[in-house]
Amino acid sequence: MLRAIGLTVPDELFSDIPRKARIGRMGLGGGQEEAEAVRTVDKILDRNRPYSRFANFLGGRFATRYLPAAVDSVLQRSEFYTSYTPYQPEASQGVLQALFEFQSLWVELTGLDVANASLYDGATASGEALLLARRVHEGKRFLIPASLPWEEKSVLSNYATGPGLEVVEIPFEERTGRLDLARLGEEIRRGDVFGVLADVPNGFGHLDDHLFELRSTIGNLPWIVRADPLALTVLEPPASYGADVVVGEGQSFGIPPSYGGPGVGLFACRKELLRVAPGRIVGATHDKDGRRAYALTLQTREQHIRRSRATSNICTNESLVALAFVLYASVVGPRGLAELQRNLAEKARTIASALAGVEGLRSPRFDAPYLADFTIELGHGTAAEFLERLRKKAVLGGVPLKDPRPGAAGSPERILVSATETTDDKAIAKYASSARSAMAAMGGIR
Amino acid sequence: MTFRQARWDEPPIWELSTPIVAAGAPSISGVPERWIRKEALKWPELSELEVLRHYTRLSQMNFGIETMTYPLGSCTMKYNPRVAEVIARRKTAAELHPEQPVETVQGALEIIWRLERMLSRITGLPEVSLQPAAGAHGEYSALLMVRAYFRDKGELDRRREVLLPDTAHGTNPASAAMAGFTTRELPSKDGCVDVAALSAAVSERTACFMLTNPNTAGLFESDILEIAETVHRAGGMLYYDGANMNAILGVTHPGKMGFDVAHLNLHKTFATPHGGGGPGAGVLAANTTLAPYLPIPRVMKTGRKFRLDYDRPRSIGKIRGGQGNFGLDLRAFVFALVHGEEGLKHIARRAVLNSNYAAARLGQRLPRPYRPLVKHEFLLSGEPLKSRGLRTLDLAKRLLDEGVHAPTVYFPTIVPESLMVEFPETESRRELDEFVAAFERALDDTDEHLRAAPTATSVGRIDEVECARHPLLSWKDLRQDAPAPGAAAAPRKP
Repeated sequence: MLRAIGLTVPDELFSDIPRKARIGRMGLGGGQEEAEAVRTVDKILDRNRPYSRFANFLGGRFATRYLPAAVDSVLQRSEFYTSYTPYQPEASQGVLQALFEFQSLWVELTGLDVANASLYDGATASGEALLLARRVHEGKRFLIPASLPWEEKSVLSNYATGPGLEVVEIPFEERTGRLDLARLGEEIRRGDVFGVLADVPNGFGHLDDHLFELRSTIGNLPWIVRADPLALTVLEPPASYGADVVVGEGQSFGIPPSYGGPGVGLFACRKELLRVAPGRIVGATHDKDGRRAYALTLQTREQHIRRSRATSNICTNESLVALAFVLYASVVGPRGLAELQRNLAEKARTIASALAGVEGLRSPRFDAPYLADFTIELGHGTAAEFLERLRKKAVLGGVPLKDPRPGAAGSPERILVSATETTDDKAIAKYASSARSAMAAMGGIR
Repeated sequence: MTFRQARWDEPPIWELSTPIVAAGAPSISGVPERWIRKEALKWPELSELEVLRHYTRLSQMNFGIETMTYPLGSCTMKYNPRVAEVIARRKTAAELHPEQPVETVQGALEIIWRLERMLSRITGLPEVSLQPAAGAHGEYSALLMVRAYFRDKGELDRRREVLLPDTAHGTNPASAAMAGFTTRELPSKDGCVDVAALSAAVSERTACFMLTNPNTAGLFESDILEIAETVHRAGGMLYYDGANMNAILGVTHPGKMGFDVAHLNLHKTFATPHGGGGPGAGVLAANTTLAPYLPIPRVMKTGRKFRLDYDRPRSIGKIRGGQGNFGLDLRAFVFALVHGEEGLKHIARRAVLNSNYAAARLGQRLPRPYRPLVKHEFLLSGEPLKSRGLRTLDLAKRLLDEGVHAPTVYFPTIVPESLMVEFPETESRRELDEFVAAFERALDDTDEHLRAAPTATSVGRIDEVECARHPLLSWKDLRQDAPAPGAAAAPRKP
């Protein structure tokens, strides 16, 4: 092959790289045979302890759901997982149709008009939605609930910083965790607001029934709802109470959490916002013989055409996880999904009452409806120590809600507790007894 | 040569069964009725086998790397080793919640830590973060870091401009704009950065110059050291878009070339699967000046123990939920482990050899702009097709009928009717020769056949303009578009 291109030694292939820019050894060591590499990696991975080995109460934005085997068997078809973005639609009808079905499902769940073919994850989907809101409304300030997880606040601030926008937190009612509507109204009256975000369930896992009245409070401001897909199988679609955009994290539908990624960012909006929406979108059309066909469409919004004036910089998205999403929903089926959500909600109630009997612990902390997740608050001690004591008894007690950055504003010791499919009476009893001894060990009631 | 893609008349999934018409969702104790769906979710109730058949049929109407050559330029469509898929599905990798206590995820942290160290050596930049979800996300995060750096230095008010060559990937200017910079594209000279033009363009307003090397014309920017000096003399930062890193593994690296910050695409160079468009995994690598601004948390090692460090006061904070796409990081780690130092160097040699070989052969049939020696990819111009009343698009569609994927077309835009072709190291000479033969058959076919192509794919040529003019984006739109109830199964030609 070298001869065919008129060269004699391989190094000539790199004659255009100046000597002064060349490197010596990288210091990576030798390669390993496949069998050896598997042993090496397994040895490292064996230092992990998967949540399935614990009484597990972790959830929130990432779910630890059981995944029907059929889902992954389809994902492993190389025609899906090794293909690129469908730039040649005639050769890529499979992934295009699957993405069209995915878009249709998110439209159905949210009640909105159009969905895109995915964004990176729930947090970045919120960020993209913030930018979209600014495209259709003047202003510098974006309002979010103070109950939003710290990670998402940080991501939103990063999306806001480029165009010089500000993210403003609206406090919640002490008793219910609901948005303080009076404060929200005040902030809007102060002016310069271009959009509002609220979530279902909220960062505490609870349902905020102020959302039904929110539209009348915010007038014609763009409103973004971040929603959990499983919750939307049983709850009224956010479009019915006035959402303009609904974003979410779809990891719980079809793939394991894999320590936080990949997931899939869900995005739907009203059709009036379509031309300023981010991300790839699949459209249905016909081929020249009139056969139903699908293709990427409205690409003039996108970076490869519009460059610096694109609606987003996103190129690679999460197509395979979007496929997992629609696969999972189809395998479990609409009745199965609603039943799953109902079951998890019932279990969550059992957990909450069991923990309510633990001295020094408020469970649930907020007086508001909830589904599979709710928040507890410790009367003394720290969430970090509490969770560490639980871990030693093989209980993963939930997600600590505190911002872990040093110097972050202090907040009460709260933990988001979630029901999972493996939650049973034994696990709940174990949580309650471990919680009791942890609270006792952390010292007296203040 | 005969190629026929499967042609299932596979209806959308909701046509496979009548959605249940139930009065709302089940009630849930403690949840007020106003919250509960009045109308049940409209989605079909199907058996597992029905669902499997539906998606298996769809998969058969999709090109993939394990069935055909996929020479998409700048996409690095290499084989995605199956062993990495097996490893990523271990319970000890998949069943980890990002909020598990660090004591229970020591293995995951070790993988992240070790991969970061490896990528630091590969990029020549001391600090690495695996947080970004994809390449463009890495670009964006890096520009936020540059922004924060100049803010701390008190120069952000004037350093508002990001410069880039006109060959840059579209994500570069898009990311720069999202990060709040104005962008200016510099015309290339002979396919490369014109150093004189760059010298004239840089100023105290320059925040950053974004560059891919080798660039999207497949050319190595041989003036790179001069470029770096020019940007740095003006006080700007030099950003490396690592989409094309496959060509230079072990030969040079961003650090040696003078870049301050870089992103890599693990789904390109490190063989994690593209999944029909994603997930990807980005990598951020930074020099000591910009490292304090990397996203949190950082993975730290003390003795044998790993922990997450949030104590980074100058960090830009979080750029996504979770700890990065760990599932992809793990696949890339397996890939790097199997290859080692020599294996990675071999990748660059073989990929560059493949592209030069194919370039030499295809260059006999279509004009190739610029100098002959390329790196991972090369450009062809379909301009001569115009004399036949044809376009590059027709050639691309005709290639599909040969059972190979078309190259990237109409990018970069500096070459008229361009085709951007990349053959990664996993393509054999036999595959390359077959692609060349297919390409020649396509070129030599009749004008009529080229215009009619593709005919062997599951659908014929799609009018993408019509698709955008009259967008049908979900089943709601399709229902409204349906001719009449009962006529859903429109007659299709065989």
